[in-house]
Amino acid sequence: MYVSIFFCSRPLIFCPTLHRSRWRKCAARVFGSREKTRRRPNAAEERNVCHVAAPLTPLSNMAGKAGKPSRPRKADKDEEEQPLQAVLVADSFNRRFFPITKDQPRALLPLANVSMIDYTLEFLTSTGVQETFVFCCWMASKIKEHLQKSKWCRPTSPNVVHVITSDLYRSLGDVLRDVDAKTLVRSDFLLVYGDVVSNIDISQALQEHKQRRSMDKNVSVMTMIFKESPPGHKTRCEDDDIIIAMDGKSKRILHYQRAQALKRLHFPMNIFHSGSDEFEIRFDLLDCHISICSPQVAELFTDNFDYQTKNDFVRGLLVNEEILGNQIHMHVTKDGYGARVSNLLMYDTVSSDTIRRWVYPITPEANFADLEGQSCTHSRHNVYRETGVSLGHGSQMEENVLIGRNTMIGANCTISNTVIGANCVIGDNVTLDRAYIWNRVHIADDVKVKQSVICDNVEVKHGVVLNEQCVLAYNVVVGPDITLPEGTVLSMHHPDEEDDEDDDEFLSDDNDVGYRKDKTKLKVFNPAEVGSEGKGYRWKTSSLEDTEEDELAECIWGEIDFRFSQFLTQSYKISFRNLGKQLTSLLNQFLYHGGKFYKSLLKKWAPVFKNYVKRPQDQLDCLASMEEVFLERETHWAALVKVLMSMYQLEILEEEGIMHWFNQGSTTDKSQQLRRNQGLLKFIQWLQEAEESSEEDE
Amino acid sequence: MPGADKETDLSERIESFLSELKRCGSGAGSLRGSAETARETTALLRRITAQARWSNAGDLMEIIRKEGRRMTAAQPSVTTVGNMVRRVLKIIREEYARSRGSTEEADQQESLHKLLTSGGSSEDNFRQHFAHLKANVIEAINELLTELEGTTDNISMQALEHIHSNEVIMTIGRSRTVEAFLKDAARKRKFHVMVAECAPFCQGHEMATSLSKEDIETTVIPDAAIFAVMSRVNKVIIGTQTVLANGGLRAVNGTHTLALAAKHHSTPLIVCAPMFKLSPQVSDTPKLSTKNFENTTTNRFGNLILSKVNAHCPVFDYVPPELITLFISNIGGNAPSYIYRLMSELYHPEDHEL
Repeated sequence: MYVSIFFCSRPLIFCPTLHRSRWRKCAARVFGSREKTRRRPNAAEERNVCHVAAPLTPLSNMAGKAGKPSRPRKADKDEEEQPLQAVLVADSFNRRFFPITKDQPRALLPLANVSMIDYTLEFLTSTGVQETFVFCCWMASKIKEHLQKSKWCRPTSPNVVHVITSDLYRSLGDVLRDVDAKTLVRSDFLLVYGDVVSNIDISQALQEHKQRRSMDKNVSVMTMIFKESPPGHKTRCEDDDIIIAMDGKSKRILHYQRAQALKRLHFPMNIFHSGSDEFEIRFDLLDCHISICSPQVAELFTDNFDYQTKNDFVRGLLVNEEILGNQIHMHVTKDGYGARVSNLLMYDTVSSDTIRRWVYPITPEANFADLEGQSCTHSRHNVYRETGVSLGHGSQMEENVLIGRNTMIGANCTISNTVIGANCVIGDNVTLDRAYIWNRVHIADDVKVKQSVICDNVEVKHGVVLNEQCVLAYNVVVGPDITLPEGTVLSMHHPDEEDDEDDDEFLSDDNDVGYRKDKTKLKVFNPAEVGSEGKGYRWKTSSLEDTEEDELAECIWGEIDFRFSQFLTQSYKISFRNLGKQLTSLLNQFLYHGGKFYKSLLKKWAPVFKNYVKRPQDQLDCLASMEEVFLERETHWAALVKVLMSMYQLEILEEEGIMHWFNQGSTTDKSQQLRRNQGLLKFIQWLQEAEESSEEDE
Repeated sequence: MPGADKETDLSERIESFLSELKRCGSGAGSLRGSAETARETTALLRRITAQARWSNAGDLMEIIRKEGRRMTAAQPSVTTVGNMVRRVLKIIREEYARSRGSTEEADQQESLHKLLTSGGSSEDNFRQHFAHLKANVIEAINELLTELEGTTDNISMQALEHIHSNEVIMTIGRSRTVEAFLKDAARKRKFHVMVAECAPFCQGHEMATSLSKEDIETTVIPDAAIFAVMSRVNKVIIGTQTVLANGGLRAVNGTHTLALAAKHHSTPLIVCAPMFKLSPQVSDTPKLSTKNFENTTTNRFGNLILSKVNAHCPVFDYVPPELITLFISNIGGNAPSYIYRLMSELYHPEDHEL
């Protein structure tokens, strides 16, 4: 057996030491003993039972749709003649661009003065896609409006764009299930996000994919596109680090693992028994988030209700490979550019790469979006100017600068690595470095901006200094004479509004008072944060770092979700005590990583909980297991009440159950103490009152 | 209504041509030679003439000028499109003048005296309506198309006058015109071709393969060896992207080096350029056009340094006219100093700015 391990494209000598240590570890795994195999035959068999019935569903779906000219998918002999289709997901399903995305969906954020979705559509069109389905959820009307105005909806467009909107999409999984339900795709399609910027020529990958499909009927369901970029490459974002084990000959993916925050790597031994004698384990790949999918992908998402993200899908497919027989392949490109603007750091990188023409021929002066008046000239040191730009005396545009139309720049300014939108006014003696300034921004004299994003209609007054990684969201006013520390995020939306909105469906306002008294909303702008004439609220955490934390949390949640769903698919007949164990581990995890996301997670799994927690005894069990967890961690006692509250609101737990548990004689001192917790007492009191009032009503 | 139908059909064609132009830029879409672009542009202009609504020459020129501006804006680095638009405008002017009965010469070149007396009022005269104008213009454009189709043949026909037996010829990169030129000469004579590979895109490799298939003795040399090899070379024959109004070139990068080396060794430098490459642009700062060209050496540095590294990859060189010996176009050989004259024959001075 011969295993080659790639961590970067050069010999290992050039690898940073960190990666070398990783290499040693995984090498040890690869060549190590067979006992480490993580196969669980039982689980596999049980899952098999679940899936036997599954393939029938799409067929029955098809039968139901008699209205359309029926074109049975199986008999698709004329696949080559089918126009290439694409599914574009114009929603990120996360909040990494908050608070900016509160006013504008991410796909419409300008990147080098052109909306991101236009880059994606241009990429699709240039690869020969003739029909694109754009799925939007958040602020769908805005995306729709934008697309209708753009060149993609002109009758002459080579790429027909259909916009499909729904408020119900919560994840990529939902979108693909809808694709399947509506039978939109007829043959292989491209799956991309609305924030992918790329110039990769995928025709070769497409051909390989088709060849594999025709050779081995319907075995390979997906080809993922990767770009070779060694660790430390600029477009590599730490959260997107992945480790892939692949078959060197057939390019089949054997193992797919997100490397982020992992100290150790495990490779299931069975992947190395798959018949081939050439394996590659690669850490030098960047996922371009472009995949060529067969219609089966949509079907598989329908069959597996628990698949939310592509990560779930890939992992799920690889784990179940032996049973379902589906394979995933990959295509690695060396030249070409492909990156997803997944957070603000990537926004910075991709913007500067676009200005530096790495995405050629998609460059600013090409005006590929064909917008009126957007044409610009390109001169030395990558300085781009649109029409009507005025530059004051002594101002310098050093390098990599893009200035939008009708923007006025005062005297003695120094501008480098910056994108400025249309109709901005910039005063004298302003220094801009790696600033991303959108449209209609007013910047007064003597302002310094470093690596920051300034959104539409912002006013920056005299003498303001923005340090690294600041974000000024729409319509904010800052200054005068204030220095914003690194990572400040200002928005016209109050940070607390977000929570409200999030819970709208489940909380009415008077329920709120119980535990959120402390959040009396400061509707007054704090002059210490935004300056004496400023307008805006400061958001708690710095956004760029926040994104990473977010990502971490998401990763862990993904992991838990995944394990959870696996666990559930194994058997429906587990007792609550087992589930309690799962719950325990779940709570452990979230407490450990700062429980910001417990709510969304609980919400997601509420139906499952409801299914198991039916009888009063179950409720008690559930509470007991929760108590167990919290007893181990005194510091997190305050969180208990929050969890209880959410579970109560989600109707998982009932008043009586909670009261019963609370009043239950507890044995240990510690649990007594827990019960005397201030927050908990309040909650119980509130519960009692609510009960009484409801009784009165009757 | 058939009229409206025609209009949408026309605009559809224009749009698809525009997007094609944008995409083909340099290499992303279908890779085409400039001859093909010229033909397509002219065919499209003929269609516009036939299908658009206009009643007199002034209207038509306005329409063509408008579309021409859009087409040139779509891909500024491809000058061929603009040149063809200018040619068609010139044709309309001539046909109009002929219909009016005035001689071509009278309209040919504004003399100093005429400039003083008449001002810029010639535009008003285009308002007269002529029934035959449309047919005449279309016919003239058809002639232009025939001329375009024959350009490469016309150029390669002259090959034997320039290439003699047992000569050593040097060329750079890949030019379809030069390729045809050399192949034509190879049918009668034996000679040796050195091809500079033209890094980083190395079009020279393709050129060399194609030449060696025709049994031409071919050697590929790296760009750095141009100067060293030059002493053995009898003639340098190159193609170009654009011929500028002053007789200079905008050609693939590396050409300037080659021209300087040729000058140093007093080797004649011959440029094969069809007439449609002649552009009224005067001079040109070297265009920077970075392709997606990954510089592997920069990857070795960490993240911090890499973000400060700019990798530039110029695509075109400007070659000043002093370095060029002869232009071979489809209408014969010309010295660089004569280019201005050819230009005034091809384009009307008022059309230099579209």
